[in-house]
Parts: sequence; structure tokens; C-alpha cells
Amino acid sequence: MSIAEARKCNVLIVPMVVIMGTMIGWPLLQTFFLSFTDTTLMGLEPAGFVGWQNFVDAFHDDGFLSSLKVSLLFALVVVTSEMVLGTSVGLLVHQPFIGRSLVRALLILPWAVPTVVNAIMWRLIYNPEYGALNSLLFQLGIMKEYTSWLSNADRALPSIMFADVWKNFSLVALITLSALQTLPLSQIEAAKIDGAGAGQRFFYITLPHIIPSLQVALVLRIIETVKVFDIIYIMTKGGPANKTRSGSIFVYQEAFTNSRMGSGSAFAIIMVALIMILICMYLRVLTTKRSS
Amino acid sequence: MRTNKLFIVLKYAAIILLVMYILLPFLWLIIMSLSSSADLTTKPLHWIPGKIDITSYKRLLLVGLNSRGSLFLYGLRNSLKTALAAVIISIFVTIPASWVFSRYPGKKNIILKIAIFTFMLPPIAYALPLYRILSRIGLLDNSLSLALVYCTIILPFCVWLIKENIDTIPYDLEEAAIIDGAGFTKRISLIVLPLLLPALGTVALLSLLMAWDEYFYAMLYTNSQNAITLPVVISNLASGRQSNYNLIAAGGVLASLPPVCIGLLLQRSLVRGLMMGGVKD
Repeated sequence: MSIAEARKCNVLIVPMVVIMGTMIGWPLLQTFFLSFTDTTLMGLEPAGFVGWQNFVDAFHDDGFLSSLKVSLLFALVVVTSEMVLGTSVGLLVHQPFIGRSLVRALLILPWAVPTVVNAIMWRLIYNPEYGALNSLLFQLGIMKEYTSWLSNADRALPSIMFADVWKNFSLVALITLSALQTLPLSQIEAAKIDGAGAGQRFFYITLPHIIPSLQVALVLRIIETVKVFDIIYIMTKGGPANKTRSGSIFVYQEAFTNSRMGSGSAFAIIMVALIMILICMYLRVLTTKRSS
Repeated sequence: MRTNKLFIVLKYAAIILLVMYILLPFLWLIIMSLSSSADLTTKPLHWIPGKIDITSYKRLLLVGLNSRGSLFLYGLRNSLKTALAAVIISIFVTIPASWVFSRYPGKKNIILKIAIFTFMLPPIAYALPLYRILSRIGLLDNSLSLALVYCTIILPFCVWLIKENIDTIPYDLEEAAIIDGAGFTKRISLIVLPLLLPALGTVALLSLLMAWDEYFYAMLYTNSQNAITLPVVISNLASGRQSNYNLIAAGGVLASLPPVCIGLLLQRSLVRGLMMGGVKD
């Protein structure tokens, strides 16, 4: 590539770099700097440099630590359920049956429903007085009396998890299905001729074929769930008794409700570091698997 | 033969369960939106409304009946405006950049890697400084600045998928053009772009759905009819003290209509689009 060409290449990248720099790079740097200060939301009083104090405080802040636990627990339970349910559903609708194309088309419905609508829909269903869930369980005779779901400290987080799984299992199912559709039939036939049973065909041919796609779904979902904000915020605002307060909600409250931008930024930076560690761990596992 | 029959019965039972699991919650949302308030506030519930009541849709979609309705329509307009602007900006700047990343892989790919990496960061990592910047220059509650903020979500996604797609376009086609003396602009606009269009459509739609779905930034950065988006309008509707369950449900159904229609019509290409970047060794 000549110098003139290289220069032209740079020109083509510039617009993207400018937008990324101003909208992503610059704010991220600022968050980093803010995390060493005691800046407030309105910033009326001049911000003071406090060194590592915010970070030291963060690791002694029970609220923050328990919010990280909520995020990780949410990610663990939700992603595991979605992967198991989604893969099973993908395998199920890959089978021949009457009305197959209709059911396959329906699969996209939960994924297409906006997150906010999903949260509100389930909030209505969980409503303690007039919600569909209470009414249904009561009319079926499963429950003797109405109960509260989202305002009960033990039931709130599982209820939100259930709502999130409803929306996002469908993505995993669709990805599984589309991977199954590229499975070469000749391989299955050959295995059949060689006398491989259904179980062997599944574990030695089908599963290895869909695993790369499932890994994509897994990464996408882990990234999404560790930073979860909107579904929880709309359903419970982090309550009751902070039992559903995720890391993102905690940072939001610290910075905007309590107007402490400095420590809020430190919490945000710790979350970023945590996500980076998770991703590095994942990549590590992936590369060692590939090379072995 | 008996196990085979049992298998078929189990299969259909599982499928019926699946269809109920997918459909019932959303169907109930639709039924709620068409019920009268009286039907929705009885114990136990009336599952099938006494009569179909479309007043909540009227209240949301007709201007002048009350302030809610017009705010809903403003939200719809702003959501469309913001999402479209964000997608157009993102795609416009990523096409030339992705082309360079694909055709001249080298040092510059570190930029691509950084872009993909930012996709993983939580919005909360940018939200605070962006809020300060926007409020200082007086651009809070503004659709265009919100669209630029949405680029933080959409841009990394676009550059990743578009680069993967340009990789699949054979370079030979461009070589022929180089011999004819075509420059960068011609090679991109006359050769790559036409072949990229179908994939570009998918990427644009997926980005549009992402922007349509966005709640966090919109909730933080908008507060009036100037720029408030549909997700914020609906969540405000639902957090009100009165229990207009049918009105909330109708808002939810209306906000779901565009993405659900797009999803049902274009399922195949959407899923292929989502898979594109990831499954490749």
C-alpha cells in the first residue's frame, strides 16, 4: 500500500473514530478520572481529588458488594436457564411435526417484544391484587389465597428472572435452530449406517455442530445480563429491601439519586473491570479448548 | 412401535406447552388492552372481557382527549426519529471504516478490536460524564444528541457485522476495477455497496430494534415531549398511581407492534444477521 493510499484509508476511518472517540472514549476516560474525585451531580462545589479513597470505600460498601452479587446471580441463573430451555426448544422444533413453520415463526415473538414492554407485562401479571398469576393459581386451586410476588423479598428476584427468561430463551432457541438447519444430513446418514444409536449421533455429530453457535449466544447473554438494568428497574426499582438491586442500578442510584458522581464512577469502573475479567476468563477457556 | 407412539405424544405435548408458554403472557397483554377497567379489577379475574373495549387505544392515539394521548404520540415520533438518526449515522460512518478493516487488515484492526470490545461495556460506564457534557452544552432532552448517544450501542455492533460481511465479498471484483483505474470511493460505492445491500438491510433493522428497545439513556437524558421516547412514556404510564391497567397494556401492545411485525416477517434474515459475526473460525 502506497503512502497516498494509506492516507486515504485513514480518511475513511476518521468519521467513525471521531464518533467513537467523543461518544465512547472521552466519556470512559472521564469516568475514570471522576472516580478519583468527590464530584457531585450538579458540580457546584469544586471537585476534590481523593485518590483511591472511592475504591477503598467501594470494597467496604455492603450495598455495592451485595448489588454485584445480585448481578452475578442474575446472570448465572438467567443465562443457564435460557441456554438449557433455548437449546431444548431449538432441538424440539427441529423435529418434524404438524404446524412446524407456524411454531417456528412464533419463536421470535418473545425476543421481539421490547424489554420495557416485557417488564411491564410481567409486572401486570404479578400484580398482587388483580394480576393474572394470582388469579390463575387461585382458580386452579393451587393457592388458597392471593400472594405478593414482586414486593416479597424472597420471590422478587426469581420472578424477574422468570420474566427475563421468557423474553430471551427465544434468541437461544432461534440460534440453535438455525445451526441445526445447516447440519449436513449425509453425516447423520453415514453414522446411521455405521450403527451409531440416537444418543451417539446426538453427542458426536449434532452437539459438536451447534456448540459454536451456542457459544455466541452464551457470550451475548452473559454480556447483557451482567450489566442488567432496565427489566429490574422497571419491575421493582431494585426493591424490596434492595434484594433485586443489580450493580448497574446501584451505580445509577449512587450517581443520580444520591448525586455522588465520584464514588458512582468508581463503582462503574469496578463493574467494567469485573466484566473484562469475565470476558478474559471466557476467552481463556475457549482458546484452551480449541488448542486441545 | 409403542415407544415410537409414546415419543410422538410426548413431542406434541411439549409443543403445546411451548406454544402456550410463548403465547399466553402476550395474549393476556392484548386481552387486557381490550378489556374495560371493571373487567380487570375483579377478583378473581374475568379472563374473557364482557365486551371489547377500545377506549384505551383511542386515548393513546387520538390527540386532544387527554394529555397522555399526545405524550404517547410524541414518544412514538421521538422514538422513530432517534432510532432512525442513530442507525443512519452509525451505518454511514461504519461502511467506509469496515471496508478499510476488511481490505487492509493491519495495524488499524486494533481500532476494530476496541470497537467490538466497547460493545461489552455497561452503559453506566459512559452515562455519568455524558450526562454532564450534555447538560453543560444544553443538549439534554434533545433527539439528535440522544441519537448520538445511541451510537455508543449501535456503532460497535454495526462495524463488527459489516466488516464480517465485506469479508465475504470476493476481492477479485475490486481488482478488476483497480485495473480500470477506480479509486477507493468508486470501489466502495460501485462494487462493494451493491453486494452489501441485503446484509446492510439486516444490520440496519437489527440496529433499529436495538435503538427502539433502549430505555436507560432515554430515561436519563430526556424528560419532555421534545425527546422522550416510547419506552420511557410507557414506563411512566405504568408507574403512575392510578391503575389504568388497560391503558398500560394498550401502550405495551402498540410499542411491540413494529418490532414484532419486523420479527415475524424477517425472522430468517434477522437470525442470520445475529449469527454472522460470531460463528466463524
